[in-house]
Amino acid sequence: MNYIYTLPMFFTLAASLLCLVKKTYFEEVVSIIAAFSTVAVAFIMVFLPSYTSHYLYIDGLSKIMLIMVSMIYASTVMFSTTYMKYIDNPSFEKHFYYFLMNLFAFSMLFTVSVNDLGLIWVGVEATTVTSALLVATENTETSIEATWRYIIIVSVGLIISLLANIFIYSVTGTLNIQQMMQGVQTNKILVLGAMMAVIGYGTKGGIFPMHTWLPDVHGKAPAPVSAAFSGILLAVALYAVARIMQIVNVGTVKEFAFWLGLFTVAVAATLMIVQKNYKRLFAYSTMENMGMMLMGLSLGKYAFIGAVILTLSHAFAKSSVFYLSGNILARYKSKKIENVKGVSQRMPFTGYTLFFSALAVTGTPPFGTFIGELLIIYGILKYFPLFYALLVISFLLVAFISINYKVGSMVFSKPTDTVVTERKRVGTIVPIVNTLLAFLVIFFVPQINQLLSVGMIK
Amino acid sequence: MRETFALVGFFEILMVLFMQWEIYTKKIITTFSISSYIIALFLFYLGIVQNSPYVIALSLISAFVRGFFIPWYMKRRIVRDHWREREIKPVISTAMSIVISLLIVVFAYVLYRITFYNSIHLVEGSIPMALLLQGAFLIISRRNAFIQLIGYMTMENALFLFEGYLFPGLPFIVEAGIVLDLIGIIAIAGVVVRMMKNSSVEMNESDELRG
Repeated sequence: MNYIYTLPMFFTLAASLLCLVKKTYFEEVVSIIAAFSTVAVAFIMVFLPSYTSHYLYIDGLSKIMLIMVSMIYASTVMFSTTYMKYIDNPSFEKHFYYFLMNLFAFSMLFTVSVNDLGLIWVGVEATTVTSALLVATENTETSIEATWRYIIIVSVGLIISLLANIFIYSVTGTLNIQQMMQGVQTNKILVLGAMMAVIGYGTKGGIFPMHTWLPDVHGKAPAPVSAAFSGILLAVALYAVARIMQIVNVGTVKEFAFWLGLFTVAVAATLMIVQKNYKRLFAYSTMENMGMMLMGLSLGKYAFIGAVILTLSHAFAKSSVFYLSGNILARYKSKKIENVKGVSQRMPFTGYTLFFSALAVTGTPPFGTFIGELLIIYGILKYFPLFYALLVISFLLVAFISINYKVGSMVFSKPTDTVVTERKRVGTIVPIVNTLLAFLVIFFVPQINQLLSVGMIK
Repeated sequence: MRETFALVGFFEILMVLFMQWEIYTKKIITTFSISSYIIALFLFYLGIVQNSPYVIALSLISAFVRGFFIPWYMKRRIVRDHWREREIKPVISTAMSIVISLLIVVFAYVLYRITFYNSIHLVEGSIPMALLLQGAFLIISRRNAFIQLIGYMTMENALFLFEGYLFPGLPFIVEAGIVLDLIGIIAIAGVVVRMMKNSSVEMNESDELRG
């Protein structure tokens, strides 16, 4: 029965190889089958006990990550089938796009499944290898420039995390997660290594001060790629941080992570005010959510559960936002907020879904993000004076107003052209489903808690 | 072994300083290639002495990818477009680069002494740290994509020198080396070449990438 834990990786890897076969629609069919098979296996796994072997470490947290990655991967593949038609001059053929997308999913699933900090590093770095070219799919000078920034900044960050792994290994003599979970002897080098890991993986997670690649990439990557980046890639990077903090359970590291999270929220919320490009606006919103998640992970207990709920709900909501931004871009041919008017009248499904998903990413009730942020703020109140909680709330408020005001101006303004240009197709339905899922997460809070505490749902 | 490491480190720092001061891309590429070969040779020697197949594998990867393949590929592209050989407007002037790169060496030493030295107790450990910072400075101070990539790979070289000498036996280091080099290859094959087709290897500020 143990082979089931490797099936998600197997499906995605097999699909990527099959995508190399040049046959009309074959790559799409194969990718969809692989994606939904991965989703099915990920759901089956939650009813199975946690599993540890020499190479695999699948506990409750891994299972939640597997579900999240596989579901966003599935929706992204579905959305890509329609969106790819709008790319005029792609950098490569469609089958190569799906080859990379499947490999990208494989590297993320690998990262959240392995039992070794070194292999987690390899997995996170492999996501850069597989995703770098996806960013440049649209084959424009600015998209290539954004790809370049992504490669250089993220790789420098990951060199820092590799150095961190070397330090951790020098103290513990192993990088095996299961062994290290049983307790490690802490010293200055270990603490320094853990802090470097927070910065290094945080670079990939869009955490201040190494976040500068994030708005560029999200602004220039095609919509499905932005959705996968924002929804799951950044969360996978933070998963590595979560593991490090579980192993090196030291106050200094946690405090360091908390402050980085707080700065990230502050910087993102401030920069959101001046954004004129809606994709960059959503990218800063992702950064703000990542900051909140990092704070939650650092605080532990309820805040940790809050961070997991926020991660899950944010993945659905933000992927939806980016899919919708792709639909809008395909119709309006502009990324400037001022050029997008009357979406609710020209594209009713897209307009209203964007309005609700924007509410979801800004932590509005009744979406799961609200519960997640509430638990994190509760954690802040528990460990820090009231002032800090108020500070975080005020930044969240700034982010809420910035996004919803700007999205409101796009959705409910008077259109220049009243012709309805929307068709009911996969590209319209997928974001609606994901926005709904961002809400439905609230009904699964007890199950999430159970998974995190006992590793399975009985 | 300590003397050999110190000697290799000394040459590496000299070469990276030369790269900081140089404006001809081709010479920088050649210098980087030589520095990679030296590191590969040292790692190979280290692997034999320590009887570590990992370190030997790492040395072979270093020699092939960073010593031969990437520099060869870059030079091939440059030969086709002679006018791109020289970086006309570096972000930081050459004179300032000289001053800053020298200060970085001193800074790396001081930083190492007050942090890692307390646990590692090997004074020559500051050499890889200096190389790491020099690589980062090369990325920041140049606009040319080739030189930025060399900056990244200089950091990679520093890391393997650090690991090979101070922490031999790290279990996943070969995989790490392969993946890091893959990034370099993808960067060069997928991005730089396309940028050249679009008429410039210089990284430009675009309105769409501001804010």
